[in-house]
Amino acid sequence: MKSALLTAVILLVSSSGLCAAADRPGETFHAYVDTDICSRLMLGPINEARVGCSLSTAKDGDEPVLIRLQNNMVLTVNKRKMVEKLVGQFMQATGQVKVSDGTMKLSEVSPEQAKDIPAGDPARKLIDPQTYRTDAKLYEKIRHELAMMPYTSEFDFISFSLMGTDVILTGWTVRSTNRSEAQSRVKDVEGVTSIVNNIDVLPLGHFDMQIRAGARAQLAQSLSRYFWGSGSDIKIVVKNGDIILLGTVATKEDSDLAFIRCNSVPGAFHVFNLLRVRKSSGS
Amino acid sequence: MSKKVKFNLNSMRAGMTVALLLVTMAGCSREQKPTVKKIPANAEFSGFFKSYANLKPVAGMEGAVGYAATNAQKNLHKYIACVIDPVEVYLASDADEAKLTETARAAATEYFRAALVKSVSSAYPVVDQAGPLVLRLRAAVVGVDFGGEVAAADKDADQKKGLAYSVNIGKVRVEMELLDSETGEQIAALVDKENLGNGAEIGSTQLARNVKWAAARAAFDGWALRVRDFLNASNELSPEDADKADKSYQPYSSATVAAK
Repeated sequence: MKSALLTAVILLVSSSGLCAAADRPGETFHAYVDTDICSRLMLGPINEARVGCSLSTAKDGDEPVLIRLQNNMVLTVNKRKMVEKLVGQFMQATGQVKVSDGTMKLSEVSPEQAKDIPAGDPARKLIDPQTYRTDAKLYEKIRHELAMMPYTSEFDFISFSLMGTDVILTGWTVRSTNRSEAQSRVKDVEGVTSIVNNIDVLPLGHFDMQIRAGARAQLAQSLSRYFWGSGSDIKIVVKNGDIILLGTVATKEDSDLAFIRCNSVPGAFHVFNLLRVRKSSGS
Repeated sequence: MSKKVKFNLNSMRAGMTVALLLVTMAGCSREQKPTVKKIPANAEFSGFFKSYANLKPVAGMEGAVGYAATNAQKNLHKYIACVIDPVEVYLASDADEAKLTETARAAATEYFRAALVKSVSSAYPVVDQAGPLVLRLRAAVVGVDFGGEVAAADKDADQKKGLAYSVNIGKVRVEMELLDSETGEQIAALVDKENLGNGAEIGSTQLARNVKWAAARAAFDGWALRVRDFLNASNELSPEDADKADKSYQPYSSATVAAK
């Protein structure tokens, strides 16, 4: 009798614990709703350039993601519809975050203004442009280290942002080891105190590989001056059939030509042209 | 983007995924068959290379000769992944072919292939299908011989599946080439004459588990690492390219705009 009672009590306690776990809403934090592309490229203060990038790439169909303002972590959400109309805005997000794979199960969202984030909150500090004022020498050392990575190709683009002495690595690579190599190189730069690694490793599926080869062939044919033996000024990031053009070209005409040529690559779904045009010395 | 267009894009993506799966499955079914050949007596070039004429000593690697294409369109930098064929075996010209079983071939090659995958994959991720931007790595152990009967104490638990005679890799050399997986054009090659396997024998299919065969493991690991060293050296940027890469690389960040 006693043992039966004890078993019942244990069952009740454990089942209530399970229910509590199932119902747990997770955590709530301040976030900026960005797109996958801009989140991996334009880390830094949420300024006009950043919001412009978010809005234009969202309009072209890029996936919305959340930026956790506390640490600039990029999170892919399970309920895209809940956030897609909020791209370019701030909000409070509630849900369960899985840090290991950068995903979040959203349960609630609530739009807010930047001014609603209390002073002194780490999230507020991270959206303040003053936070990003940093040592130009340290910036250059990190830039040089990343530029000299041996196994990067025209299909990789690793970017970074520096906040004081904290580094956020972003971008895309086709080699998973480049993700760790970049972190290891930056960690060894004197003066760096912490690193958040948001570099996305791209899948090497046959379909994307054909698009990569097709895009390179198109660009190397018509814009050959930007390509050299081991690399190029134009970077071609291919993800799930989409092409993202990055890097710097000399003129707007070259940028437009690259866009047109990549649009003719068989199998490519969409071309995001984020090529920068080099400013002339007179401007 | 309108809902209709989005729907069509999603349908297209789903269709492409199914097509991709079918292509992948078809690719998997055409598996490369392992090769075993015997070196003809007095042959100068004993493995799959017909000549070493274009191979030059590799700086910093004693006993190795290699080649890496420098063509601006076709060189190691232009590839981002690799398929690795089963390792080929070339028996020593005086080896007793009667002792060669499928188990012996597997014992002499599978550990080495796994070591190659481990060593190469961080430079060229290993994929299972040839295609654009994919290299094909061929490797051979050349000069494989046989030793005596494997002692009862050293045999595998399942003796029917074990080796009757030990495989001797004490005098082998390793040949390797990287080809464009679509055209078959040679992009790089390496012949490693360094005798890392001095005294090494394999008497078990469970090479990774028995200390008795540690010398063979060390030899295979050593050759695989030297293949990687060769790839690292061949992928080093020339001073001119390093300068171009340095000047070309500018991160994207709204932070740099704000900091100015």
